[in-house]
Amino acid sequence: MSQTSLRNRMLEAFRRRMFFLIGLIAAVFMILLIQTVNLQLIQGETYKQRARMNMENYIPISASRGEMYDRNFKIGGGNVVIVSNRPSFNITTIPASFKSKEEMAAVIRPLCGLLKISYDEVMSDIRSRNPWERVVIREDIGFDTIVVIASNQHRFPNIDWEDAPVRVYNYSNMFSHTVGYIGAISPAEYKRLRDSGYRHYQKIGKSGLEGEYDSLLRGTDGHYRRVVDVRNRIEGEEVGLQAVAGDNVVLSIDFEVQKAAWEAMKDLKGSCIVVKPHTGEVIALVSRPDFDPNMVISKNNAKIIEELNTDKNKPFLNRAIQSKYPPASTFKIVTSIAALEEDKWNPNLTFHCPGKYTLKGFIDKDFFCYDAHGTLDMYWAIAKSCSVYFYQLGYKIGPTIILKYADYFGLADKTGIDLPGETQGFLPTKKWKLKTFGQQWFDGDTVNLSIGQGFVSVTPIEMANLVSAIVNGGIIMRPHLVNEVLSPDNKKVLKKTEPRKLREIPLSPMTLDTLRQGMRLAVKSGTAARLSYLKVPIAGKTGTAQTRSKRKDDYSQHAWFVGYAPFDGPVENAVAVVVMIEYGVAGAVSAVPIAERVFAKMISLGYF
Amino acid sequence: MLRRNEIYKIDYVLIAAVMAVIVIGILMIYSAGFDPIDRTNSGLYKRQIVWFIIGFILMLMMTFVRYKSLGDYCLYIYFFVLLLVIFTTFFGTPIRNTRAWLNFGYFSIQPSEFMKLAVVIVLAKYLELRERDIRHLRELLVPTAVTAAPVLFVLMQPDFGTAMVFIPVLFAMLFIGGADVSHLVAVISIATIALIFPMALTYREWVADQDASIIVSFFQDYNLLFSVAGFLLLVSITTYILHFFLIKKIFRKIYIPSIVVSFGLFFSVVIMRFLKDYQKKRILVFLNPDLDPHGSGYNVIQSKIAIGSGGFFGKGFLNGSQAQLGFLPEKSSDFIFPVIAEEWGFAGAVILLGLLCLIVLRGAQIALEAKDKFGALLAAGISSIFFFHILINVGMVLGIMPVTGLPLSFVSYGGSNLLVGMISVGILINIRMNKFVY
Repeated sequence: MSQTSLRNRMLEAFRRRMFFLIGLIAAVFMILLIQTVNLQLIQGETYKQRARMNMENYIPISASRGEMYDRNFKIGGGNVVIVSNRPSFNITTIPASFKSKEEMAAVIRPLCGLLKISYDEVMSDIRSRNPWERVVIREDIGFDTIVVIASNQHRFPNIDWEDAPVRVYNYSNMFSHTVGYIGAISPAEYKRLRDSGYRHYQKIGKSGLEGEYDSLLRGTDGHYRRVVDVRNRIEGEEVGLQAVAGDNVVLSIDFEVQKAAWEAMKDLKGSCIVVKPHTGEVIALVSRPDFDPNMVISKNNAKIIEELNTDKNKPFLNRAIQSKYPPASTFKIVTSIAALEEDKWNPNLTFHCPGKYTLKGFIDKDFFCYDAHGTLDMYWAIAKSCSVYFYQLGYKIGPTIILKYADYFGLADKTGIDLPGETQGFLPTKKWKLKTFGQQWFDGDTVNLSIGQGFVSVTPIEMANLVSAIVNGGIIMRPHLVNEVLSPDNKKVLKKTEPRKLREIPLSPMTLDTLRQGMRLAVKSGTAARLSYLKVPIAGKTGTAQTRSKRKDDYSQHAWFVGYAPFDGPVENAVAVVVMIEYGVAGAVSAVPIAERVFAKMISLGYF
Repeated sequence: MLRRNEIYKIDYVLIAAVMAVIVIGILMIYSAGFDPIDRTNSGLYKRQIVWFIIGFILMLMMTFVRYKSLGDYCLYIYFFVLLLVIFTTFFGTPIRNTRAWLNFGYFSIQPSEFMKLAVVIVLAKYLELRERDIRHLRELLVPTAVTAAPVLFVLMQPDFGTAMVFIPVLFAMLFIGGADVSHLVAVISIATIALIFPMALTYREWVADQDASIIVSFFQDYNLLFSVAGFLLLVSITTYILHFFLIKKIFRKIYIPSIVVSFGLFFSVVIMRFLKDYQKKRILVFLNPDLDPHGSGYNVIQSKIAIGSGGFFGKGFLNGSQAQLGFLPEKSSDFIFPVIAEEWGFAGAVILLGLLCLIVLRGAQIALEAKDKFGALLAAGISSIFFFHILINVGMVLGIMPVTGLPLSFVSYGGSNLLVGMISVGILINIRMNKFVY
C-alpha cells in the first residue's frame, strides 16, 4: 500500500516537473520567435539596407569644385583663372569589409609599400575612425599607380579608387588670404554639417572665399554602385548618381591690381585694400606675409601647416580684416567730421601750433607735434597732419561726439565682407575705462583720441569704409569679393551680387568738401606729396601709429595711408585705397609708395 | 523483433517532422554551398544526403532494439564512447585548432556528439536505480562525475560549445529524476553570482562608464570580497552546527543562502583573477557585437543582417545576398538558420522553428507517457539535448546568446550530429511504441 502511494507520489512529482520543463520549452521558443519577428518584421528595413550596403559598394564620384575668375571674366576664354582643378585619384577602403585584422594587414601592408607611405600612420588613421565608413588611404595618386592596383586586384581586395580632382591655386601666394584653401573635413565640422549633406571623406573650404562660398563651390558628389561579394569580386558596376559640378564664381578682384599691390608689398608686413565705394566691390585685397595654398593642401601638409601656424609672423592671419591697429592720424578724419557736423566748426577757423600743446591741469602735460606748423586752418591741418590743431579741436568738442561719429562709420563693427573670420575695431568709452582700469576718463585720453592714439583701434577694412563714406557722400556699401555666381558650364549667371547699402551717415556737403579738399591738399603739398605727380588727382591721408611694442628689432610704428581717386571725378569711377604697414616707418615713407604703385597701375589700366 | 501490428504504433508525426527538418536542412546546405559567380556547388549537400540515408537506417534499427537493453549495456556504451573522446582529444585530426574529429579518409566522426547520448543513457539508468535516494545531496555526486569526465576532455579539444551543452542537459535530467530543487537552485545561484559580477565589471571597464559607485568599487576589491565570503562561510557553519543540535527551521533559512552567496563571491574572485583579457573582450563583444566588427562580432552582425533582411517572404531560394555573396560565415554548419531566414523569410523561419518545437515537445510527451522510469528519463534527456542545441544555436544567430559554435540539430551540415539525432529519434519512437505494451 505504502509502496504504491510512494510510487504515485513520485509519479506525480515527475509529471509536475515535466510540465514545468514543457512550459520552459514553450517560453524559450516564444522568445526565439519574438526575436525573429523583431529582426525580420520590425527592423527588417534597417537590415535590408545593411545587406545592400554589404553587397553594393558605393564608390564616390567627386564633384568638380567650382573655379574662380577675376572681375574681367568674359564668356569665351582668355580669362584669368585664379583657382582650378586637375585630375587625380584617391585610394580608399572600408575597414569593416575585411574579415579579420590579419587579413586587413595582409592587404594594407603591401599597398603602403606600393604607395610609399607609412603603414603605421595609415593603420592609426583607420583605427581612429568608424570601420563602416570609407577611409582615404592616400590622396592624389597618378593614373599609372591605379593601373598597377587594377591589374593586381586579387592582391588588393576591398581596395577601391575614385576620381578626386586636386585643387590648383594658379597664383599660389598672391590670393592666399582672399581665396583661402580647402582641407579634409574635421570631426567637429562633420558633426555640424552632416545634416546638410556633407560626408566625412569630403573636403571643405577652410578659409577665405573657399570657406565662405563652400556650399556653392562644392557641388554634389555622385557615386558608382558596384555589386560585390565578400572577396570584393565585382558582379556589376553602374553609375548610381552623376556628380554635379560646383558653381564657378567671378570675383570683384582685378588680377592686375591685386598683382601690383601684392608685388609692391613684397617683404613687408601688412595689408592693402582697394575698393569701389560706389558698389562695395573689392578690387584688391592683399595681406602679407602670406602662404601658398597649394602647399597647405598638398599630400604631406601636416608639417607645413604646423610651421605656418607657429611662424611668429602669422602668415595665416588676414591682416586686412583680422587685425586691428591704432588708426593714428587717419582718425583725424573722424575728429574733423565730428567737429564740422556737431560743433558748428568752420574749416577756416585756425589754431596755432608751436610744436607742442600743453594740457592744463593738476600737473601740466605736454603733447607734441612732429613740427611747429604755426597758425593753420583745417585744410592745412589735414594736409600737414598737424596734431596740435587736432589736440585742441578734440579737447574743445570732447570725446562723446568723436566716438559717436566713429561709431556712425562702423569703426567698432564688422563690415560684413564675404570672408570668414572678420574681426572688428574697438572704440573706448568712459564706462569701459572705469571698468577696465578703474580710472576716470582724463582730458589726456580725449586729446589722444582726437589723433587716433590711445585705446582706439580699427581694422583696415573699416578704414576703407570710412574713406568710401567720404567719396560716396556718407553712404557705405557692404564690401564684397564675389560679383557673380556662374553655372558650372559658365553659360548662365546664377546670381549677381547686388550692391548693398551698409550704412548711411547724413553728412553736409560742406563737411564732405572740407575733408576732400584737405585730403587733396595732403597729396598736393602735404604728407602724401609723393602722389602728386600722378595724372589723376588723388586725395589721401597718412598716419603713423605709435605702438606699445617692446620689440627692439622692429620699428615701433605702424604706417597708414588712406585715400581715393579721382579727387573730383564721378563717384562711379572712384576707388578707395587703404594701405597698412606693420612696423613701418612713418606713413608717408612706408605706406604711400604702395598706394602709388596701385594708383599708377590703375591709371594705366584705365580705371579713371 | 517488431511484430506486424506494431507498425501502426510508430510515431509518424515525429518522423514526418524530423524528415521535413532534415530536407529543409539539405536544401539550405545546397544553397549555402552554391557559388553564384562560378555557378558551382561545393557538393556538401550530397554528403549530407549520404549521412541522412545512413542515419535513416540507424534510426530504423533503433526502433527494433529493445530500449531497455540500452540501460543494461549503458556502462559499456558510456566507456566506449568516452574512450573515443579521450582518444580524439589527443590523436584526433585538428581542424581549425580543435581536435574533435576522428578522420576515416572519406568521412570523419565527432565522438563528442555521440557522448551526449551516452551520458543521457547512463544518467537515465542511474536515476532510475536511485529513484528513492536521489533527494540526498550525495547522490548527485555520481551524475556530476559522469558528466564532468567527458566535459573535461571536450574542453581540452578545445570545443567550448559542445562541452557547455552537457551542463544544462545534466541539470534537466537531475530535475526530472527527482533531485531536490533547493540543491539545483543553490548550484545555479552560485554559478550566477560567480559569473555576473566579473561580467558587469568588464562591461564597465570597456564601455568606459567610469562613475565611481560604491557597489562597483566593492567588487573591485578582492580582499574585501574574500573577507565577506569568509564571514558568510563562518555564519553558515555556525548556524549549521546550531541546526544540528537544535533542529530549528530558522537556521536552515540562514545557512543555505549564506553558503550560496559565500561560494558565489569566492568563485567570482577566482574568475576575475583568472579571466584573460581576450576572454573579457569576448564577453563584451557578446554584449555589443558592434564593438568588434572583425572578430566574433562580425559573425553575429552578418547573421542578424541576413535574418533581418529576409523580411516576411525572403529573397528566394539561392537569392540571399548575405548567404550567396559570402558575407555569412559558417553558413552550412553553425549559421544555417540565417540562410533559411534570409532566403525564405519569416515564413520559412517560423515553419522551421515550429517543426523544431514540435520535435522537442513530442519528445517531452513521449517522456510523460513512457511505461517506465528509464524510458521517461531517456526520452526527456534526448529532448533536452535537442532543446539546448536549438536554444543555443538559434539564440546565437539571433544575437541573444553568446557565440559558442554549436550546430543546429538535424539542420546543420555535419554527419555525427545528424547520425546522433536520428539514432535519438529512433530511441524516442521505440519508447513510444512500448507504451502500448500493456
